[in-house]
Amino acid sequence: MALLEVSGASVRFGGLTAVNEVSFEAEPGEVRALIGPNGAGKTTLFKAIAGEEPLSAGAIRFQGEPVHALTPHEISARGVRRTFQNGGLFGELTALENILAGLHTRIPSSFGGLLLGTRAARAAEKNGTRQARALLEMMGIPHVADQWARDLSGGQQRMVEIVRALATDPPLLLLDEPAVGLAPPAREELMKIIRRLVEEENIAVILIEHAIEFVMTVCDTLMVLNNGELIAEGPPEEVRQNREVLEAYLGR
Amino acid sequence: MKLSRSVFWLIPLAALALPLFVNQYHQYVVNLILVYVVVGVGFNIVVGNLGQLAFSNVAFFGIGAYASGILTTQLGIPWWLTVIPAGVAGAIAGCAASIPALRGVRLFYLAIMTLAFGELMRWSYIRTPSLTGGSMGLTVPPPELFGWVLETETHKFYVFIVIVVVLVVAVSRILESRIGRAFLSIKNDERAAAAMAVPTGRYFVLAFALSGFVVGVGGAMYAALVGHLSPESFDLVQLILHFAIIMVGGLGSLVGSILGATLITATPELFRDWPGFEELMFGVVIVLVILFLPRGLASLLARVHPIFKDRYLRED
Repeated sequence: MALLEVSGASVRFGGLTAVNEVSFEAEPGEVRALIGPNGAGKTTLFKAIAGEEPLSAGAIRFQGEPVHALTPHEISARGVRRTFQNGGLFGELTALENILAGLHTRIPSSFGGLLLGTRAARAAEKNGTRQARALLEMMGIPHVADQWARDLSGGQQRMVEIVRALATDPPLLLLDEPAVGLAPPAREELMKIIRRLVEEENIAVILIEHAIEFVMTVCDTLMVLNNGELIAEGPPEEVRQNREVLEAYLGR
Repeated sequence: MKLSRSVFWLIPLAALALPLFVNQYHQYVVNLILVYVVVGVGFNIVVGNLGQLAFSNVAFFGIGAYASGILTTQLGIPWWLTVIPAGVAGAIAGCAASIPALRGVRLFYLAIMTLAFGELMRWSYIRTPSLTGGSMGLTVPPPELFGWVLETETHKFYVFIVIVVVLVVAVSRILESRIGRAFLSIKNDERAAAAMAVPTGRYFVLAFALSGFVVGVGGAMYAALVGHLSPESFDLVQLILHFAIIMVGGLGSLVGSILGATLITATPELFRDWPGFEELMFGVVIVLVILFLPRGLASLLARVHPIFKDRYLRED
């Protein structure tokens, strides 16, 4: 049983088919990259997996259970976390509070407990804060903890967003264009972090990316989407030689 | 200087001595400020923290006031026993007011729908004279506390200050927890909040209900303070007052709600002896504050000492 099974998934908007009968499986410990021209349906496929876009046909199973009829927060609670193409951070919250928001389901303080200021509720909040600080430290950005998220640099924001998505140790991480807008050294750093997570924590990562050299070095499996259809899937070097892919995507 | 937030307790403690220095009229104004502190704190939850353009606040205020008034006059229940039911009535109204938002109504559409809710309630007060006294209004007897009648403004003040402290502490505890963060994450990016496993719908209902409860209690205080409820008290002018309080005080800031209520309530009273001038000054104060302190009075106080800095108040 694969961690994520997408079988015959289609998303249609009126007459337009954004995702057309896409099937693939993702296993723990692998990085899958999803590439394709603009409008190929990459982000729509992500949205479908995250429950933000309903499927018109097909099924999505996570850890063996169908999840395509669940709401985004239910899917997230099961362990599918994502980052956004742009502006997913909560700008009015500090970096630390953003991580705490990511830990929402892991902080067991109840409304009544908080209202009465019980020891359990206060301890839960304190534990969460400690955990969030430790996460920032682990990712090498403890100094940004108390800064407003919207004041951080693009690279720092990206890192905080990834830390936030990882806060609950999700088995599956969806990254929507994580390297966009990052300087080459920051990209290098990001790549190392993704590889480390996959190898040490044994999670599965699916990422959408346009920077082809970044994709080639970071992923184990490359998937190419064109006009909503999955036209190739396999080891990056192999897919790169695929004639159909060269024609559709690389324009040769 | 390192100060702990416990120094905030000095404010209500110092306020206890206030009746020694003011006459009954000024005491009335202070009591009115306390009513509006509660209103501002409640309203800010939905607008400042959850970030929704929802104007159902006057409905919560009126429902709380009438709930308290009806329970005392029709059923003879002592006032102090009506405070929590008034809050509960406000909370139920809050749940009802969250329905359009749950159906995905946002921004101006939500504003107009919630505005309609307030107007519908005003119409209901007029159309149910057997309960509310209709357009003639409802005269509420002086409030009673454990069989002790609160005849003077000073008596009311001591009861009100306790209510204000309890509500401010309770709301601040909620806002500074994961629940408050959930509200703010929804305000910032609903889609990302859901992606963090925050059940957004549930938090919409919670924020509206909490807001309704607090403002409903404010309504019960208002009923006790003015002694007469009429439908015109709960019109759009009342809404503008509520909105001015949170804008002038600082959106999303608890300290701001307190400061805003004080300034907005006190200003017209200060110019009471110059007829026509009070409305003018009301407008002038709003314009000046929004012009020079777009983040509200709370941002001014935050510059005095960091202890006043609300956790969620962004500095300019």
